[in-house]
Amino acid sequence: MSLIIDSVAKRFARFPALNGVSLNAPQGAFVALVGPSGSGKTTLLRILGGLEEADSGSVRFADLNWLSMPARERKAGFVFQQYALFKHMTVADNIAFGLRVRPRRERPSRGEIRDRVQELLRLVQLEEFGGRYPSQLSGGQRQRVALARALAIEPRMLLLDEPFGALDAKVRKELRVWLRHIHDKAGVTSIFVTHDQEEAFAVADLVAVMNAGRIEQYGAPADVRRDPKTKFVAEFLSA
Amino acid sequence: MSGKFQNPTQDPLLLRIFLSLVAIGFVALFLVLPLLIVFKEALADGLGKAFAAIIEPDALSAVKLSLLAAGIAVPLNTVFGISAAWAVAKHDFSGKTILVTLIDLPFSVSPVVSGLIYVLVFGLQGWFGSYLLDHDIHILFALPGIVLATIFVTFPFVARELIPLMVDQGRDEEEAAISLGASGFSTFCRVTLPNIKWGLLYAVLLCNARALGEFGAVSVVSGHIRGQTNTMPLHVELLYNNYDYVGAFAVAALLALLALLTLVFKTILEWRYADELAAMHRH
Amino acid sequence: MSAFGLALTPMKLRQRRVLPGFGLSLGFTVFYLTVIVLIPLMALVIRPFALGFGGFWTEISTPRVLASLRLSFGMAALAAVIDSFFGLIIAWVLVRYRFAGKGLLDALIDLPFALPTAVAGIALSTLYAPNGWIGAILIAHGIRIAYTPWGVLVAMTFIGLPFTVRTLQPVMSEQSQDVEEVAATLGATRLQTIFRVVVPMLLPTLLTGTAMAFARGAGEYGSIIFLAGNLPMVSEIAPLLIITKLEEYDYAGAAAIGVVMLAAAFVMLLALNALQAWAARRR
Ligand SMILES: Nc1ncnc2c1ncn2[C@@H]1O[C@H](COP(=O)(O)OP(=O)(O)OP(=O)(O)O)[C@@H](O)[C@H]1O
Ligand SMILES: [Mg+2]
Repeated sequence: MSLIIDSVAKRFARFPALNGVSLNAPQGAFVALVGPSGSGKTTLLRILGGLEEADSGSVRFADLNWLSMPARERKAGFVFQQYALFKHMTVADNIAFGLRVRPRRERPSRGEIRDRVQELLRLVQLEEFGGRYPSQLSGGQRQRVALARALAIEPRMLLLDEPFGALDAKVRKELRVWLRHIHDKAGVTSIFVTHDQEEAFAVADLVAVMNAGRIEQYGAPADVRRDPKTKFVAEFLSA
Repeated sequence: MSGKFQNPTQDPLLLRIFLSLVAIGFVALFLVLPLLIVFKEALADGLGKAFAAIIEPDALSAVKLSLLAAGIAVPLNTVFGISAAWAVAKHDFSGKTILVTLIDLPFSVSPVVSGLIYVLVFGLQGWFGSYLLDHDIHILFALPGIVLATIFVTFPFVARELIPLMVDQGRDEEEAAISLGASGFSTFCRVTLPNIKWGLLYAVLLCNARALGEFGAVSVVSGHIRGQTNTMPLHVELLYNNYDYVGAFAVAALLALLALLTLVFKTILEWRYADELAAMHRH
Repeated sequence: MSAFGLALTPMKLRQRRVLPGFGLSLGFTVFYLTVIVLIPLMALVIRPFALGFGGFWTEISTPRVLASLRLSFGMAALAAVIDSFFGLIIAWVLVRYRFAGKGLLDALIDLPFALPTAVAGIALSTLYAPNGWIGAILIAHGIRIAYTPWGVLVAMTFIGLPFTVRTLQPVMSEQSQDVEEVAATLGATRLQTIFRVVVPMLLPTLLTGTAMAFARGAGEYGSIIFLAGNLPMVSEIAPLLIITKLEEYDYAGAAAIGVVMLAAAFVMLLALNALQAWAARRR
């Protein structure tokens, strides 16, 4: 049940955004993607989420031909930097969305959905906020709702694109510890994009440093830090 | 692997085809057919007959009257629109929302009511009715009434397009010009006007189209005197009610051509100056 | 309407007013507004009450007047609903799909704005007459449009379409697609995404367009009278009854209907402002 990304490539118009990216991660790993702006992190994440089509390459996950599945069947919870909450729904309805759109046979009963939402609200420490609208929440609270919404579908994989990018440093620090905790509890495989290498090295099991559509180095944080394989990685880490 | 990919923000092909056909079908049925029938009926007895109906004296006098009414109403409303936008966009004062709402009011008033109000002011039983009668001043059933009604129905056009545009552009450039010693008038001509010229042209174009085509309001105040107080749309009505279909549709076709010309200009402006007009469409 | 985002602001005059022309522009704006719009409207508002409220009520409560008001507002509501349904589809197709001829389709939407209503009126009347292109087909199926209340509906639908399309279009094209992507990753099918996410998010805008189409339809005159047959109690719209009363020199009766229409217009304006505020809060 591991994630195997093999030579995934993608170009926009004539511009190559990903030049054959390969990466393996064991089930339950927490992988951080770091790299300068424009290095292809978001593109890779969107391909894994089914939001973008890869030109070539393959991905196997949980023994599935991942790229041939449409986004809605992948059960990959995606969390955007700008939250992308449904503004016309309450917090509770946002979280319940993924359960309510299931085909009738698989859909939990109303009561089960209510319980599950309550449980998730408790998990993200927003028990009192179920009836509010997203516009009535702070940035950090919104991002926790977005995470709870992604967790509600019992995802196999969590894809987080700079989830804390819009938040201040103090909130980021709190949330990343908490995120790691949730990741461990849910037992998912997570891929976490961040600009902040300190953040990446603090929470991740594995770190991939990307540059110009390639992975320059991939390994445990301590190894990458101790032994940068390329000049780019060394410079990037010292920046 | 490719070909299988489903873009999650794109509708499935069948849905795309279905909705496109619905949209095109509705527009064809409700908008294109009426346009086609105007030209078809106008040319029912050949181009010569249609042309004759347009250059016939009563028709020509209707054309003249329409042009005259629009020629007075549009410049007045343009000056008003610029003045209102300058006051609202470049200054702070309380009561702005109310002012802007009132400026918009004529748009939500029925054209017939727009005519009615002038009858109530200037008509025989109206406020100034007997005074006007005593002094032999003709406002209703004469050019002034037609002009007033035209002004009313086209009142908000320029103001409501310019206000968001000028609000969007802020005040920095004007303030800089003033601080460099430019006069208010030359600041407006050299700084503001160049920034809003395409929006202004756009608004004047639409205002003019409506002024030439106004029917309900003008119908109430004109008195329908053939060859004297009939504008083009009123002349169309008159011919149509007299079963002169070729004549009615010939004049109608002329108006439709003007409308199409307006749409062409409007579309060109929107394509070429999309950025400059963007603020107008955001409201 | 008046969605310029200008809140009624008690001004903190932190910075000195540097731009000139405030007094002149605001003065002229208020003067022109008062003379052209406010005073004549005032003449309308107080006119029916010359007879006292009882007199006003007598004028309004005759069966013929009530029937005309019911027809104008009822059909306008129905037309607005039809326009919002098809307007939503047309705007969606214009914003999200690409196909040849899209520019033309887009430009055509404004036709009811640009085409004089009298021209639209005689064109629709010819199309839907029992021997017309559309009328003949419908008659064969036992459906009669011309000279019935359905003629009113057809004309109002024609006139209102641009309001819904043009209100929706800019909001749709600015709406970020990430919510659709999220919905897909959460397991929603495309249709679920459209009906549970896209359309509800557009709801305030959709209602705004619907209200505008309704307001326009309720007051519409020119495009309807040729098609509707104008049978009292059956297909006679309120604006036409105003004109009929004026021709009978029944100013008070005309003014009474005019006041009801004006009040409705005002309520719509307030409703639109409220909708706009709601839409803004959703952003
Ligand atoms: N839809 C698109 N069309 C064209 N080019 C695109 C598109 N999306 C991304 N790109 C290009 O692909 C490259 C990789 O973009 P990507 O968003 O993956 O970078 P990133 O590593 O996430 O950057 P950042 O840290 O700034 O978010 C960039 O050069 C970008 O300009
Ligand atoms: Mg990115």
